[in-house]
Amino acid sequence: MLILLHPRFHAVKNRLTRLKKGDGLKTAVLALLGVAFWAFMFIVSYRVLSYFRTVEGLGDLLALRLLSMVLLTFFSILVFSNVVTSLSTFYLSGELDILHSSPVRIESIYRAKFIETLIDSSWMTLIYGLPVFLAYGAVFKAGAAYFAGLLFMIVPFLIIPAAIGIIVTMLLVSAFPARRARDILVLMGLLIFVVLYILFRMLRPENLVDPDAFPTLVQYLTAMRGPVSPLIPSSWASDALAPLLRKNAGDAIFFLLMLWSTALAGIVIAEWVCGRIYYAGWSRSQEGKRAKLSRSRAADLFFRLAVLPFRGTMRAIVLKDIKLFFRDASQWSQLFLLLALTVVYIYSFKLLPLERSPLPTIYIQNLISFLNLGMVGFVTSAVAVRFVFPAVSLEGESFWIIRSSPLPLKDLLWAKFWSSVLPLLVLAEVLIVLSNILLKVSGLMMIIGVATVFLMTVGIAALGVGMGAAFPRFRYENVAQIPTGFGGIAYMIVTMLFIGTVITLEAWPVYRIFLAQSMGTSMGPAKGAWIALTFLLVIALVVLAVILPMKIGLKRLLDREI
Amino acid sequence: MIKLTNLTKDYGSFTAVKNINLEVQAGEVFGFLGPNGAGKTTTIKMMAGLLQPTGGSVEIGGFDVQKDPLRAKAITGFIPDRPYLYEKLTAAEFMRFVAELYTMTDATARIRDLLELFGLADWAGELVENFSHGMKQRLVMASALLHEPKVLVVDEPMVGLDPRGARLVKDLFKDLAAKGVTVFMSTHTLEIVEAMCTRVAIINKGEIIAGGSVGELGRLARMENSHLEPIFLKLTGGDETI
Repeated sequence: MLILLHPRFHAVKNRLTRLKKGDGLKTAVLALLGVAFWAFMFIVSYRVLSYFRTVEGLGDLLALRLLSMVLLTFFSILVFSNVVTSLSTFYLSGELDILHSSPVRIESIYRAKFIETLIDSSWMTLIYGLPVFLAYGAVFKAGAAYFAGLLFMIVPFLIIPAAIGIIVTMLLVSAFPARRARDILVLMGLLIFVVLYILFRMLRPENLVDPDAFPTLVQYLTAMRGPVSPLIPSSWASDALAPLLRKNAGDAIFFLLMLWSTALAGIVIAEWVCGRIYYAGWSRSQEGKRAKLSRSRAADLFFRLAVLPFRGTMRAIVLKDIKLFFRDASQWSQLFLLLALTVVYIYSFKLLPLERSPLPTIYIQNLISFLNLGMVGFVTSAVAVRFVFPAVSLEGESFWIIRSSPLPLKDLLWAKFWSSVLPLLVLAEVLIVLSNILLKVSGLMMIIGVATVFLMTVGIAALGVGMGAAFPRFRYENVAQIPTGFGGIAYMIVTMLFIGTVITLEAWPVYRIFLAQSMGTSMGPAKGAWIALTFLLVIALVVLAVILPMKIGLKRLLDREI
Repeated sequence: MIKLTNLTKDYGSFTAVKNINLEVQAGEVFGFLGPNGAGKTTTIKMMAGLLQPTGGSVEIGGFDVQKDPLRAKAITGFIPDRPYLYEKLTAAEFMRFVAELYTMTDATARIRDLLELFGLADWAGELVENFSHGMKQRLVMASALLHEPKVLVVDEPMVGLDPRGARLVKDLFKDLAAKGVTVFMSTHTLEIVEAMCTRVAIINKGEIIAGGSVGELGRLARMENSHLEPIFLKLTGGDETI
């Protein structure tokens, strides 16, 4: 079984030992960002927990309740991530052809793939989770027993969802072919996430830490003690850690043993299921599939309408990109996420307790509307990093088709720009217009908002296409991997700086205009000139944000060898 | 029609292609042979504009691929050894896309004819992801011929093709050459070279070690009237290790 893991081990080793020129810097930047994020998670957890502990009587209860919620969240994420990962490791990975044609027992494949799935789907949760658990230890001033218990708890806590995930995947694949199962899973996962996210926002969890929001203490305590089923392994994990935090080991051992026995049983049960249905499912997973829906007449009409504004080769590229997008479930299903994001974003403005603010409502409304510009910019860039930044990389290994054709690469980049900027503008303008309507801002703020968001979005799209071309990743297994590298992080940082600069430049003139309007006074020619100049600066910055990255991206792409 | 002048490609300290000089005339079927890792694909990629040479130049139909890439590419058809395609397009959609890349105004009839010729007409509406390797290879060939190129650059044309497909390609290349199209192909299938190529060049460790017709290569290796395989093995030093 260990032999089967050798290729993975050597691949990782070779990646680390054969760094190319420039990889060192990238690794250092990524490591630094990782450490910063880790420190941030620790500090936030530490401060929240320290604050909870100051709440007389309820503090510990709150902290432990939070722990069980955190563990439940991790557990759910782990189960889902294991289902998705095991689909790749057990059914879709390229090496399976070699493994199944070699004289290797199916049990050995299962064990090797179990370990691979466990590591692939758990390492991120483990890294994000550790600072939270350490913060608990630090705030509760727990002893060595807590940390030893933590270590002893984590292993089975990761194994159980892996076993569940693998079993679920095998059952799913025995019902659908693996490639269809992946599409169905992606869609299901997203829908569940969207519904949960919207529900979670509508439950307003922030009220849990605000006892004033509940009419009586009894209701508050009831809400706090809400049911977490004792049958879910995450509650055993929290029940194991809670006594250790309070330096009382009694029950901890029982719950740790519960976790371990379930984990070991999980491994055995999954192996039994594997022996029964895995091979047949794997064999079926190689069957072809059809995508009838996206090739219907209606779909064709939609594609043709969508490319109406374009001509010539640009039209050909945009049409191809739209078709590829709507025929790939891992791509189009992300639109649900966008929809959820928009609903939640707008809903948050509906909930704003403006009337409780000590400042005049009109002032606070316009202030929030101004800050909202930055928020919309941030949301747009988060969407762009997922959809626009990968635009060039999506050409993938087929890039030779474009590269060996007489199409100027400049045209390719501009085609990617136009097909990105239009949908991005619709999203950003819908966000800003609807949130401003809910905020009941003045007409002037609405105009400034719409214009600024328009300019920012154009810049964000060009930065995405340009930087995506400068740091392309033509070899990927799924689209979500593309923005996770150095280029994607650099893009996020640059867009943050860009949005920040636009907002900072506009802050003073907008404040002046608003002040003059609300006081009913005029500003005078000198101030007027200053204001005009700052707006011109914003336009100049946007022009720069369009031209510069597109030029650099084009140059880097032209120099690139495939 | 094709002119390689002092063509060189370095990868760091490793030189994959060293100072290659070659000329291929219109209507020739030119075979480019060499052992694995000799520099064939690197040379072909430089001809297709996918790799930048470290030194020297490639001219196609009088256009320098580096200085005037669009005009050079407009008259070239390129068929790579591995047919990576847009998996979520249908065969017909892919052909239409390529036609538009080459700014062809009405390619409908030509697309239909080519799909028919390559035995893909029944699969025109099927997604490429459902195609076998051989079918993808046929589709790539059909798309490379779409714009009626004057030069066809082919890397390993026979990989993945069934006997019927291989026969089709052989006949097609001969027809094209008869019509004045230059075919430059790298291959390991020596029988095809013997049957089709007017001239051959052998590349080994990045350098052209022999060139001429099959008969001339035989004389060079002092193996007149011999098949190409022993000649190739002798010239590339492969006969000592086998």
